[in-house]
Amino acid sequence: MTTTSASPRTAEPAGPFEPDPLGPPGRGRSALLGGAVLTVGALFVLHVLVGRGTLGVGDVLATLAGQAPSDAARLIVIELRLPRALIALTAGAALGLSGAVLQSVIRNPLAEPGVMGITAGGVLASVLYLALVPSTFLTPDDRGVGQFGGLALPLVTLAGGLLAGALVYLLSRRNGTDPLRIVLTGILVGSVLQAGTSLILLFRREEIGGIVLWLVGSLNGKTWLQWGALWPWAVASILLGLACAGLANALHLGDDVGAGLGLRVERTRAGLLAVGVLPTAAAVSIVGAIGFVGLIGPHIARQVVGDDARRLFPLSVLLGGGLLLVADIAAGAVPFTRTDLPVGAAMALLGGPFFLYLLTRRVR
Amino acid sequence: MTPTTTAPRVQTGRPARPSRAGAGRLLLLLAVLAAVIVGFGLFTLSRGDPAHDLAGVLEILGGGGERLARITVLQARLPRFVLGVLAGAMLACAGAVLQDSLRNALASPELLGVTSGAAVVVAGIVVLRVPVPFVAYPWLALLGALLAGAVVISTTRTSTDPVRVILIGAALSALLGACVITLITLGGENTVALIYTYLLGDLAARTWVHVRLVAPYALIGIPLALAATRALNLLQLGDDVAAGMGLRVVRARVLLLTLAAALVAAVVAVAGGVPWVALFAPHLARRLLGSEDSRKVLPVAAMLGALLLPGADLLARRAIPPVELPVGLWLTLLGGPFLLVLLRRSLGAPR
Repeated sequence: MTTTSASPRTAEPAGPFEPDPLGPPGRGRSALLGGAVLTVGALFVLHVLVGRGTLGVGDVLATLAGQAPSDAARLIVIELRLPRALIALTAGAALGLSGAVLQSVIRNPLAEPGVMGITAGGVLASVLYLALVPSTFLTPDDRGVGQFGGLALPLVTLAGGLLAGALVYLLSRRNGTDPLRIVLTGILVGSVLQAGTSLILLFRREEIGGIVLWLVGSLNGKTWLQWGALWPWAVASILLGLACAGLANALHLGDDVGAGLGLRVERTRAGLLAVGVLPTAAAVSIVGAIGFVGLIGPHIARQVVGDDARRLFPLSVLLGGGLLLVADIAAGAVPFTRTDLPVGAAMALLGGPFFLYLLTRRVR
Repeated sequence: MTPTTTAPRVQTGRPARPSRAGAGRLLLLLAVLAAVIVGFGLFTLSRGDPAHDLAGVLEILGGGGERLARITVLQARLPRFVLGVLAGAMLACAGAVLQDSLRNALASPELLGVTSGAAVVVAGIVVLRVPVPFVAYPWLALLGALLAGAVVISTTRTSTDPVRVILIGAALSALLGACVITLITLGGENTVALIYTYLLGDLAARTWVHVRLVAPYALIGIPLALAATRALNLLQLGDDVAAGMGLRVVRARVLLLTLAAALVAAVVAVAGGVPWVALFAPHLARRLLGSEDSRKVLPVAAMLGALLLPGADLLARRAIPPVELPVGLWLTLLGGPFLLVLLRRSLGAPR
């Protein structure tokens, strides 16, 4: 495999692949994916090297090599940085895939779990579950960081996300699906659901910091415990989503062609929507409502590889993971913060202008 | 403005009522609403801990009563109620002005980014401890409100679809919301709680200081809005007709939008980003009146806003004791579904 020296992430014109978007995956595709994997891997290493807690790069490397200079170094690298980087990578990948699936099924480049109210629904369901089942509030150690709802939590989140997504889709479906109207309905439904989340959290007299972390999404205090709850669901749903790329392509050809290919179009579409919600549910139940990853990742991916889901989905997974790693590194680099800037806030500051740009371009 | 001048016909699809009978009905409605507000005020003053009966409240207002009771009613509940009335009326006027001047049934400050523009500024001042006197808050908030509103309106200048205008506004609001949250994380532990409820829209622990700050804006802004109703009626007819009737359309619209932003900014400075009243009240007023004539809608909407906000605040104060939740939360929970209904109706309409 020839790893191109220029990083393929940087919207390199996808010359060789463009003329044949539905052709068989070839060598160019594996080179591109390989390059993306390397880039994301490099970001992962960077995240661990410059992550939270003051520690020299040399000490980090020594610790990773199994020769920790001190217990503190071991704690920071092994117990804090590694799981945090893994969670960022996985959650970002899940959100990126969700965005790609939703966009290709609804045929709406603005669709995204956050924009469609899915994230807000998932968060509301998680918070409700955690509030009603108090024994699920486990704190992993006496530092009292993080909340953990057990393996059932992602299922509850999934139910919430599915309900919210279905509501938005049905509400905005009446006169055909104008992309912009789905977005507006989603934003409104999302704001109501968010108010519901605030209501529950304020009612329980959570500290405000905790509320903010749920509403914008954060990686603070995430350790191996949360990783244990995240990865089985995330990996399974990502694999499922990737496996559905062929179906998504068939749908993309249009309802008539799809039906001609023997698809039961409506049922397939509903199923794929559910598949698109799954990874978001897994991610949201652990990291909260991080927005815009599913918008930006797939958008860049589409610029590079076009609409073919078999290329778009894997690249969206990689770019989503890379994006969240970058956002978390950036959030850690912001000075003067009282606590860590939540990665969701950093993501929104990066993604918000991008979203506005996409919108204004379409409105004009 | 005398009600006997020939009313500019408004696109209601209904025949205009004879204006004298209309004026009588309007006055009656306003009188009824005023009576309801006063009655509700007495009720809300009596609720709480300690509770008083109506006679007790009247005695306290008349200058009697025990010292403790006087303090709870006159220093805690009364300013909160008065602030609710003023803020509600101001928001309702701002909403009606925005809706009529932009000819957009969905226009409201929280959907145009105006509210969050003001909120970002106020949050910045409080969190970063910028040494600014309290009196200057509304002016700085106005700056943020105008800036955000100008961005939304200028990006959508070429678009006539109301949904698209609102969409840009909602997206900008979301972005500014992220800025607020970023600011919150910069603040100290104590300011965080304060700010959070503040920006959701909250009337808790407001005193006469807050009333005094907002009162001048209400006393100038609301009459100005009422005086502008003729221009609003003309703008409702469309730019060409309005220009034909001798209105300088662009200038009028800019002035009206500034007025609306000023009303909103003053409210945000004392009560935070109180949502949905500005959207609710004018629609309710139009329903009640069966008319879109701004000269009737505006005063009725102001009254309804003045009832709506204290009403929601009583709910916030007493719904699930002992927890007191910000009134903005209740308004979002109630107002969001209402907006979805509105939106769905406007989606059904042909473009």
